[in-house]
Amino acid sequence: MTDPADRADSLSRREMIEVTAAALAAPLLKVGAVTAPPAAGPAVRFLTAPEYALLDELTELIIPTDGHSPGARAALVAGYIDGRLAESLEADWQGLWRSGLDAVNGLSRERHGKPFLEATPDQRLDVLTRMAAGEADPKTPPERFFTELKRWTARAYYTSKIGIHVDQEYKGNVYQRGEYAGFDAVPKP
Amino acid sequence: MTLVKIAPPLEQDVDLSKTYDAVIVGSGAAGGMAAHVLTTHGLEVLMLEAGKKLPIEQELRSMQWPYDHPRRGEAPPGSHHLSFNEYTIRKPPYAKGAAFKHVYSYVGGWSGSDYVKNILVDEKDHPYTGTNYAWVRARCLGGKTNIWGRLALRLSDYDFKAKSHDGYGEDWPISYTDLEPYYDKVDLYLGISGVKENLPHLPDSQFQRPSKLNAGEVKLRESLKKRGQVLTPYRAGVTTDGLKHNKYRSKCYGRGACDRRPGGCDIHAVFDSPTGLIYPAMDTGHLTVRPNSTAHEVLVDKNTGRARGVAFLDSVTRKSYEAKAKVVIVAASTLESARLLLLSRSPQHPNGLGNSSGHVGHNFCEHVMGPGVTGLIKELVGKPHTLDDGRPGGFYVPRFRNLKDRQPGFIRGYGFEGNSGHSMFPAHVFDTPGFGGQFKKTVRDHAAAFISMGAFGEVLARYESYVDLDPDTKDGWGIPVLRFHYQFSDNERKMAEDMVATGREMLEAAGIEVVGTDDKVLTEGWSIHELGTARMGTDPKTSVLNQFQQSHDVRNLFVVDGSSHVSASCQNPTWTIMALAWRSCDHLADEFRKGNL
Repeated sequence: MTDPADRADSLSRREMIEVTAAALAAPLLKVGAVTAPPAAGPAVRFLTAPEYALLDELTELIIPTDGHSPGARAALVAGYIDGRLAESLEADWQGLWRSGLDAVNGLSRERHGKPFLEATPDQRLDVLTRMAAGEADPKTPPERFFTELKRWTARAYYTSKIGIHVDQEYKGNVYQRGEYAGFDAVPKP
Repeated sequence: MTLVKIAPPLEQDVDLSKTYDAVIVGSGAAGGMAAHVLTTHGLEVLMLEAGKKLPIEQELRSMQWPYDHPRRGEAPPGSHHLSFNEYTIRKPPYAKGAAFKHVYSYVGGWSGSDYVKNILVDEKDHPYTGTNYAWVRARCLGGKTNIWGRLALRLSDYDFKAKSHDGYGEDWPISYTDLEPYYDKVDLYLGISGVKENLPHLPDSQFQRPSKLNAGEVKLRESLKKRGQVLTPYRAGVTTDGLKHNKYRSKCYGRGACDRRPGGCDIHAVFDSPTGLIYPAMDTGHLTVRPNSTAHEVLVDKNTGRARGVAFLDSVTRKSYEAKAKVVIVAASTLESARLLLLSRSPQHPNGLGNSSGHVGHNFCEHVMGPGVTGLIKELVGKPHTLDDGRPGGFYVPRFRNLKDRQPGFIRGYGFEGNSGHSMFPAHVFDTPGFGGQFKKTVRDHAAAFISMGAFGEVLARYESYVDLDPDTKDGWGIPVLRFHYQFSDNERKMAEDMVATGREMLEAAGIEVVGTDDKVLTEGWSIHELGTARMGTDPKTSVLNQFQQSHDVRNLFVVDGSSHVSASCQNPTWTIMALAWRSCDHLADEFRKGNL
């Protein structure tokens, strides 16, 4: 008889291996990925290819690959957001993303004379820093878009395999066969 | 390892030509307990449940990873869960004019809304009117026990004799000693996890293995101890050692998915009414369950005025039926039970059944919640993440106000529910400013270093807080709906201020930096602990039921759910609902045998 508990355990172990492999591959993927369309992941469904490339870069700037774990690009955050946008029945919300991405390019042109993806890494950082400056009390369209962008990036990243297992190194959602982990409220003598 | 692999018992055919010994309306904690106790006594019982019988394991999918769900657990397009803002700014009925195909109450947890879509009612079919109220309803076999928060607490004589203590309201017609043996029975039959603390105001249960605390919680417990206050592991209505007498439930394996979802447990280590009470009752051969049965009237005999059965609609076909019984037991939840009594008007009972006192729907009370604090435990920042959430709940800080002291601003008290440590989703990400490498590292380093707790306080039972039938609005089945006349009072607002100030003080005293406080009181109803609309009492002029939850007016009518509670206490009510129902149904069976009903 299949024991569901054993299955659950082995499943998560298998997934851990997959995820670790993804983590190793991620730095390689990063090179040259900035302007190229996303290598893997779901087909773009709502955004145009340039919009998608812009979103992909923005998410990666918000949660980048670092020495500890791959970032939002490897976790396919833009693909997840695009999928949700594609199936949404709320035209207002879809419009907010389209105009938000447009506002990013607008701000980039205003400050550096070119669209975001054509700007240098330093110039991009400057644009995003400007957008994030109003985080506590967003006022301009790019500032308001930053709030939405960051919220969805965080939500998608930290619910992804990479986010949960590699970055957060989450240990739960497993069958504990013996004692629970932690400390006794009344320590045993 | 033993996990649940037992299929639910086969349903018996419903025979509406027969007169059952008892018909029970509702299948939650109260209805399930009534079915268990009465079938044990050999009575032939019919249970009516308005909702479906769900394959609940498939609904809950407790261990599903977010990334294995197409929307990371969220509801599909066209479904909408009401928010605090909507509950506050708009007026009920909240789904009126909504562009969404389905509208549900706020329950959903973070990314959990897709798991409750068949459990919660669609607000579009179930409107209500009046004052703002976040009314959470689960229409399915087992009701809200399928997703309850699991905190299983006893009441004490500080609650049952609260009027004697501070002069407000009414005492209950029972004392703790009356209920204590039944709390014990509930503990042993259903399983409860916790640590004995020997507190007079929060009596201990017959506990199974407790869950553990994590580093931050131990730190707070030690500090509170010095102040004469208690932090105890979550007293969970969960079997941690297993139950030899129940083949439908597994013991708890500390998977910990219970905290990131609306609740529920697909191996039924958490008590739910179907596997804990109803299936075993069906196995006695004395219980027949009819789901999809929307009760709309308790029928009375024209000559005697006694209850003779229940009129209901098939929830799917909308055909009308009558179920006949010698005893009628109403257990439809505090508000639905009041609604059913008020709907049951007859020449003998012109104000609704059992309502000669005029108290049905009144003295409506619950718990006020929302205020809370979050602290950062600095020494945990940057530490490797450990398994911190593999347990049915975090911790509980029992009431400490107005026991020996007298607060100037408010009477009664509150307790804190809280937790600390690492969990699957780092919710603080939304409060962490900035972006980029430093942002990502901060989120990671702080993920296990927070401790937070929120208070649940007693809302005073007041005659002026009530529900009645709306004369104009009907639900999807053509049945008049409830209209709310219910708002928090000054006592609750003063108490809420104290919750925040005291929570802050507690963390600071433990050397924990307070990084956030919530002083917002959530909409009325948010706690899902509604109580008191058909209270017990010794005086038929000011109460609806006697101490055995038996109608003063109609002796073969019992109302065994939270509507019978005289005051709300600040302790979560489910365990008390079940202990009371057990006691009343023992009495009922006894009276039934003697021919007194």
